[in-house]
Amino acid sequence: MTDPALADSASAAGPSAAPLILVVDDEPPIQRLLAAVLVDNGFRTVQANSGKKAFTFASTYSPALILLDLGLPDLDGVEITRRLRQWYLPPIVVISARGRETDKIEALDAGANDYLTKPFAVGELLARLRVWLRQPPDCGGDSASALEVGDLRVDLSRRLVFVEQREVHLTLTEYKLFVTLMRNAGRVVTHRQLLEEAWGPAYSNETQYLRVYMARLRQKLEKNSVRPQYLLNEPGVGYRLRAP
Amino acid sequence: MARETPRTLNLAARYLLGALVVGIATCTAWLSFGHNHQRDVVMTFLLGVVLASMRLGYGPSLFVAVGSVAAYDYYFVEPYYRLTVTDPWDLITLVIMLFVALVISGLTARVRKEAAVAQSAKIQVEAEQLRNSLLSSVSHDLRTPLAVVQGAATALLDGWDDLPGARRREFLETISDETLRLNRIVRNLLDMTALDANALRVKKELQPVEEVIGVALGRLEELLRDHPIETDVPHDLPLVALDATLIDQVLVNLVENAAKYSPAGSSIQVSAHRAAGGVEVKVADRGTGLTPGDEERIFEKFYRANRTQPGMGLGLTICRGIVRAHGGTIRAEARPGGGALVRFTLPADPHAGKGPVGLPEEADVG
Repeated sequence: MTDPALADSASAAGPSAAPLILVVDDEPPIQRLLAAVLVDNGFRTVQANSGKKAFTFASTYSPALILLDLGLPDLDGVEITRRLRQWYLPPIVVISARGRETDKIEALDAGANDYLTKPFAVGELLARLRVWLRQPPDCGGDSASALEVGDLRVDLSRRLVFVEQREVHLTLTEYKLFVTLMRNAGRVVTHRQLLEEAWGPAYSNETQYLRVYMARLRQKLEKNSVRPQYLLNEPGVGYRLRAP
Repeated sequence: MARETPRTLNLAARYLLGALVVGIATCTAWLSFGHNHQRDVVMTFLLGVVLASMRLGYGPSLFVAVGSVAAYDYYFVEPYYRLTVTDPWDLITLVIMLFVALVISGLTARVRKEAAVAQSAKIQVEAEQLRNSLLSSVSHDLRTPLAVVQGAATALLDGWDDLPGARRREFLETISDETLRLNRIVRNLLDMTALDANALRVKKELQPVEEVIGVALGRLEELLRDHPIETDVPHDLPLVALDATLIDQVLVNLVENAAKYSPAGSSIQVSAHRAAGGVEVKVADRGTGLTPGDEERIFEKFYRANRTQPGMGLGLTICRGIVRAHGGTIRAEARPGGGALVRFTLPADPHAGKGPVGLPEEADVG
């Protein structure tokens, strides 16, 4: 490997069959930590410390996933996402600070698939990577006749929903919301995506409808709706069905 | 507040007030003394000049000075109702009057300016003191968890092979807990800065309180290992217009406080119920409780009820700032049977209460 780009990246180690993750972050300690964690968990990494390098490395190495910090010195993270999305199809997971919910939504709208809020636990990072490196939800998901996550199960052909083998009756809207979340288990689904899925594009801003229906879903599916095990709220962004 | 008048009124209004002063002085002198007591008439005008220069600023007070001399000349000096003077003595009176009026305006303006400088110097000193006490408390509060992290990490590095597995785990948990604490401290600092600068942006959205409570408790899972949480949030609460990030911060601070001041193993209750005009949320513990008289003071900046516990005394101040920014109230009280109870209200949106409009009730599927 004599590629000069590799001199910039901290490591492109690991067995070549392992998925390659492009980590875009300008803080060396974070780069070092992420590289160590990712390599130890069976990924290969390539690292970029600026938006410009992110574009170069994304095209040179075709990574399986890009982990992108939104706070880079040279280019706005949302802009990087938008430009990457013009040709880069695999998942992009952005990293942002708490309280910057607008940034997250903008990044998701620009084409990012998911996000992590700094500071995050390593387990959370790995969970995001695994769920996004699995088959994308659109391929093959629709042909399955049942979806199962933990104690939750949907029989798609008969439109039946079960919690711990017990059948739960959902209204049509609740059912649509639930199936959307089940298909995307572990992934963030934005308010807009859920609204369009359940009510259609005309309702894409009526977040308050969604909140009321999600509250009903929690009451029907969760043991304690105040401390949900599955239907997690992602404040300001959307919902996520926790995958065990 | 009256001292603020010159700064809050615009210039035109102040000149208008100045003209009013001249008018009032003229009427008063006319009705009280007529053309007989010239000295008293002059004094009346000068009194107007003094009052104007105390309240209206330099420019308008000069205007009042000149206006007063002109009015005096016009109404009280022969020939009446003309701006001319025939008697040289009258001219001298007018010149002296103008001179005295100008000196009064000038002097008063200078005194006012000096007072303002002294005032701003005092504010600066106070701000400096506040900043110093904030800095010392912040650096102490940041250093404590940092020292713990550093200690635990070096202990692991130096003694990895000799440490039993359980001890390693304990050190690692300590590191993890302390970094989470650091994160909460930094978040509070940022919020306090925003509150102080009046830069707290509240982005309210209509939503169930249940969701926000769920997020806050989910975030505090590590902290709550030693404290079982009991929740009571009815399903039929009205939606409330709130900023989820900020109210989350209120709940995190309140629950963290409850955990900090109550013995390990004791439970913390988080509940919400319908209250006049909105929803009331309560966080209650069975901890050390509140000293009578502290109910208000604990919300003051830097006030700490128990100095043996770490903390900056900012958490509750931030809670109060955020709740007030939502139009709600927050208060604390001792709990019968021991412990503390903090309750805050969030007003329901006046336009809400209709529930989701336009969405028909549906039958079940399947």
